[in-house]
Amino acid sequence: MMGIPELFFYFFTLMVIGIGCVVAFSKNLLRSAFALFFVLFGVAGFYVLLGADFLAIVQIMVYAGGVNVLLIFGTMLTADISTPKTSNLSFQGALTVVAGVTLFVILAVIINSGNWPTYVPGEMMATTKDLGRLLLKEYVLPFEVVSFLLLASIISAIVLVQRGD
Amino acid sequence: MGLTGFLTVSAALFTLGMVIFISRKNAIAILMGVELLLNAAALNFVAFARFTPSQASQLDGQIFAVFIVLLAAAEAVVALAIALSVYKEFHQVRADKLVSLKG
Repeated sequence: MMGIPELFFYFFTLMVIGIGCVVAFSKNLLRSAFALFFVLFGVAGFYVLLGADFLAIVQIMVYAGGVNVLLIFGTMLTADISTPKTSNLSFQGALTVVAGVTLFVILAVIINSGNWPTYVPGEMMATTKDLGRLLLKEYVLPFEVVSFLLLASIISAIVLVQRGD
Repeated sequence: MGLTGFLTVSAALFTLGMVIFISRKNAIAILMGVELLLNAAALNFVAFARFTPSQASQLDGQIFAVFIVLLAAAEAVVALAIALSVYKEFHQVRADKLVSLKG
């Protein structure tokens, strides 16, 4: 008997892997960019299944809402959209697929043969409060460093795009 | 759908990202591959946080995933800015055609 979480797990697996293949093998760059959106949604679904509610929302807002829209803008501003059939070609496509499948088989064998010391997970709790406390207590230094990094990336993006008019 | 299920999905996602990263010609497509790689890593962290949490805190893995999301956003911004300025200079972002450093 398959419960609801298992059903969702297989659904998200199919979504992430199947649409991920569209991202990897589509010849149209814009189609890849839009397919990436659904892959990121699928990963957010996995976060929900793992009890990471805050992280799932962050994934949807930052990745699907921010990074992916940015990627779609970048695609439209740089790719040659008048020839969509050839906007996203691969180099040595067959060989990399062979390499990828080999890598995946090796990883899957290692993962499934390992004896992971798992612990039976407890009930899912809301994580936002505890995450906020951790970020401002134990992890306050990385938090500040990352905020400084974000400032640096904003400034560097502006400088890079303005230069050389 | 225990720990190994999530790890296997994350390995598949990582493999897809790696295939994109090494085979694509367009720089923006390569960036999409990097996003998939980072997502696979974050998924691993969250899966381990759920099934084998650290003694100190249950949420250490999720904190790592939050930082990964932030770093991916910063990286995407800078990489797209580079791609746009490269496009201004060379009128294309094909990674196999960009061979001169000082255009």
